[in-house]
Amino acid sequence: MKHGEFRVVNHSVPREDGVAKVTGRAVFTSDIRLDGMAYAKLLRSPVAHARILSVDTREVLRQPGVIAVLTGSDLHGIDPYYGHAVKDHPLLAIGKVRFLGEPVAAVVAEDERSAYEALESVGVEYEELPAVLDVDSALADGAPLLHEMTYRTGGFRGFDDPASTQPGNICQRIHLEWGDAGAAFTSAAHAIEGEFFFPMAYAYAMEPYVSIADYNDAGLTVYSSAQHPFIVRNDLAKVFGLALNRVRLIVPFVGGGYGSKSYTKIEPLTAACSWKTRRPVKLQLSVEEAMLTTRNDDARVRIRMAADREGRFVGLQATILLNTGAYAENSPLVARRAANRVIGPYRIPNVKVDCYAVYTNTVPASSFRGFGATQVTFPRESQIDELAERLGCDPVELRRKNLAARGESIHSGLRPLDADLSGDLSMVVEALTDRPLPKGHGRAVGCSASDAGSDPVSSAVVHVYGDGSISVVMGSTEMGQGSHTVMQQIAAEEMGVAIERVRVVSCDTAITPFDRSTGASRSTTTMGRAVLEACQDAIAQLRNMAADVLKTNPGNLVLERDGIAFQKRHWRWQDVLGEFFGLPDCSIIGRAYLRKAGDLALLPLFWEVGCTGVEVAVDTETGKIHLERLITVGDVGLAIHPAMAEGQDLGAATMGLGLGLYEELVYEGQQLVNGNLLDYRVPRFSDLPPQVDLLLAENRDGIGPYGAKGGGEGSLNPVPASLANALYSATRARVRRLPLTPERVWGALTGRTPELPNSFGSSGVRPQEKDIGR
Amino acid sequence: MMLLRRFEIHQPSNVAEAVQMGAHFGEQASLYAGGTELLLAMKHDVLRYKHLIDVKVIPGLEAIELRDGMIRVGATATHRSIERSALLRSRLPVFTKMESLVANVRVRNTGTLGGNLCFAEPHSDPATLLLVLGASVAVEGPQGRREILMDDFFAGPYETRLAPNEMMTAIQIPLPSGRWRSAYVKFQVHERPMLGLALALETTEDGETFSRARVAVGCVSPCPQRSAAAESLLTGPRPEIERNLPLAAEALADSAELIDDQQGSAEYKRHLIRVFLRRAFVKALEGS
Repeated sequence: MKHGEFRVVNHSVPREDGVAKVTGRAVFTSDIRLDGMAYAKLLRSPVAHARILSVDTREVLRQPGVIAVLTGSDLHGIDPYYGHAVKDHPLLAIGKVRFLGEPVAAVVAEDERSAYEALESVGVEYEELPAVLDVDSALADGAPLLHEMTYRTGGFRGFDDPASTQPGNICQRIHLEWGDAGAAFTSAAHAIEGEFFFPMAYAYAMEPYVSIADYNDAGLTVYSSAQHPFIVRNDLAKVFGLALNRVRLIVPFVGGGYGSKSYTKIEPLTAACSWKTRRPVKLQLSVEEAMLTTRNDDARVRIRMAADREGRFVGLQATILLNTGAYAENSPLVARRAANRVIGPYRIPNVKVDCYAVYTNTVPASSFRGFGATQVTFPRESQIDELAERLGCDPVELRRKNLAARGESIHSGLRPLDADLSGDLSMVVEALTDRPLPKGHGRAVGCSASDAGSDPVSSAVVHVYGDGSISVVMGSTEMGQGSHTVMQQIAAEEMGVAIERVRVVSCDTAITPFDRSTGASRSTTTMGRAVLEACQDAIAQLRNMAADVLKTNPGNLVLERDGIAFQKRHWRWQDVLGEFFGLPDCSIIGRAYLRKAGDLALLPLFWEVGCTGVEVAVDTETGKIHLERLITVGDVGLAIHPAMAEGQDLGAATMGLGLGLYEELVYEGQQLVNGNLLDYRVPRFSDLPPQVDLLLAENRDGIGPYGAKGGGEGSLNPVPASLANALYSATRARVRRLPLTPERVWGALTGRTPELPNSFGSSGVRPQEKDIGR
Repeated sequence: MMLLRRFEIHQPSNVAEAVQMGAHFGEQASLYAGGTELLLAMKHDVLRYKHLIDVKVIPGLEAIELRDGMIRVGATATHRSIERSALLRSRLPVFTKMESLVANVRVRNTGTLGGNLCFAEPHSDPATLLLVLGASVAVEGPQGRREILMDDFFAGPYETRLAPNEMMTAIQIPLPSGRWRSAYVKFQVHERPMLGLALALETTEDGETFSRARVAVGCVSPCPQRSAAAESLLTGPRPEIERNLPLAAEALADSAELIDDQQGSAEYKRHLIRVFLRRAFVKALEGS
């Protein structure tokens, strides 16, 4: 659907960064070299949980090219603990290590290879401690504590206080309840209960973590591949006791994020290396090291759903156990989101959800595209298909019956649903069923709803120059999602200029105004709106200037494209500026600050819904599943850039394909055994289905510019569940653990019961009745 | 970016010089014939060498030719050149088809057959097929030249029976007569295959009896493995063989020392051998 009134937005214009990227000229952090720059490499812990008895650095300092070595005992004078939610993360291990792979020492040398080769000359003596490697052992009575101390909360912790300000291995607990779930289940006509496992996964980005820090008398400048530069700035300012204006974060193009580069990662450590050596220092990790830096929270979910005789959902109850790893990172917020998102886009009168994020001696978990939603959509959407079979009705019809309508509340206290999911579902079903189902194939649909957008604080500045060109100065980071292009489009649309006349300046915290983050699918909605409002602010100023120059009332001026009309003469913005200032090249600044107020007061800013359909073929001899067909609906209000909105959906669904069929980080004991791209399997082009339909629902029902709202996660969330449901529809094999590897599918087909890791059942206690917190 | 430790590269001008260099540097050196596995292992710091002897530069060592009824593939022929060889496509198509399934096109462009076999990675595709093609390898060392049958070549995972400082110069495959039917099938989810299975059957003139059979399975055990018991079960009249396939698969699985690993459980691998022996059988006899 095209919306005729637009000249630039809603058109798939060439990407702002397209030519630079396809010609290899785009600058990423790893391309940057500063004068006098040294290189750091990290020595990592070989054990999961241990006291550090001693670190001997005498030998390493004698190695060729080595400038300095930094250990946990060299951090006097700074506050080494960071974390936007919980300040539990030391920038290097201090006194003890909490996961295998944790950085214990940083060697700084004249070149990267010398730093790397010198690492083995650092002598570390450990005293091993019993490790807790899974949620069950972390919650067991008398379990070893990862953190013997309690911590301060961080400044960007969200709306819940983390539990890790209290002793214990529970990092966060969330309780959500309305109605009377217990009573609903007692009287329900149909109820179904089950347990599901969503695996540990790595959000693979082509560019691993990389930072350059330059600590000098003027302050600290850091170049980093960071999604959220302003939150990194906050952590760095606190660590080094610097004023915000002394910490400068510069983010060039980011080579993929998917949540893995949200919040602070290696920046404090890189900065500490520079702080110690007073040299600019670059730290770049390999993919293998990146896999030891962040992952998603793997999740064990016990869920039950109840329906009445007519198939109306009457209750949902869930206990979600998130394996958060050694440090809180963003898991306290993931826990909140997982609890909110297990409900889905359905009308459910009785709900009780408990979610726990639990510390273990494994790689710290944090944001991952979907942000808790993938973990909980898999169990719920699987269970809806199971319930449909119990009720003897079609899974599509069961969903349709229970989907909330636009304007209806799905979560008490949050914004009512702002999407037409029934309409989306019809689009998917129509596309999916346009031909008979081949023998041996299975089909399924899935839905999800995520409270998205995070906090709406975003600000933007628009410069209008004396030659009529425009600069948009804003803090959204360009990580491939296309936000630079979207902002350029909005400014060109509003200012009435050709898109080539608009330049995007981002992101440098010394120049660009505050933006909370680039994540939670928020940039088009929040920053897009800030850019639009900044343009309108500039236009209002220009109109007053024109009135001043023309000695008339602003009300007598008629707004036109790229200027105003007065007495039948068109004045371009540059004409107004020239007349007003009397000099060439003068410019004005339009600005906008968004915050949680007015129509942005109610959260979430928007519901990011997902609605997908898949068709799979199953080799029943080997258990191998192949995705034959994929249908996504980008319910984005208005696609500012339709091709990029579709690209987001294809990318998101492809991640869903990976999580559904291939991806799982595997621990054997303390050791992550497949933390490399040979053994950890991300989807390849050959895995993509032969037929893909990327549909857009443009109902202009978002709170962003022109009725737009965010996309990019929605088409990920239901895909793993849809794959499991399509497998069931093809073979009657139900698998409740992802990924759906051939062996697991074969096991289900041949009646071998796939074990769930550390099953709830093993303790013999039903989690709903057990107070895990005690 | 994974870093390599510092090393020196040496470029011999002939095989004798390469052997000499190997003897000179001893355990500090490795032959380097493509590096798709060696350099990866070095980047992971699993292997460390101060010296690499680049045998790819030795002239003529990459030749693919037919000599006295034998296909002779030079040790540094790349997978890609084998895949695209007109000679092999017409005379030994099962080999080119197998090569076209090796890893990905970048690896095939760089990796060499000799390098693949000498690295002795348990997931090697060529090794499994060469076992049933009755291949042997030509080697040269300080003591002179000799031949090693593929059946005797692997000593264990990442281990061959090459003597210290010996170097593989060619792979020799006897040209099968027109009565041989063969197939290579593989099953793959991860980057490395989970199973490779090669089958070669010699038929009688009427095509109704198999007078000889060779079968090998790779990836599922420390080394690719043939099984005499399975081969004997696959020899005889066709209907009997079709009935015997499950038994032959069991025999093959028994000989393979199946292990549980990240790729799958031993039980599942046993099942896959059953499935893929049948598929290889069907494929080998396609059109005959």
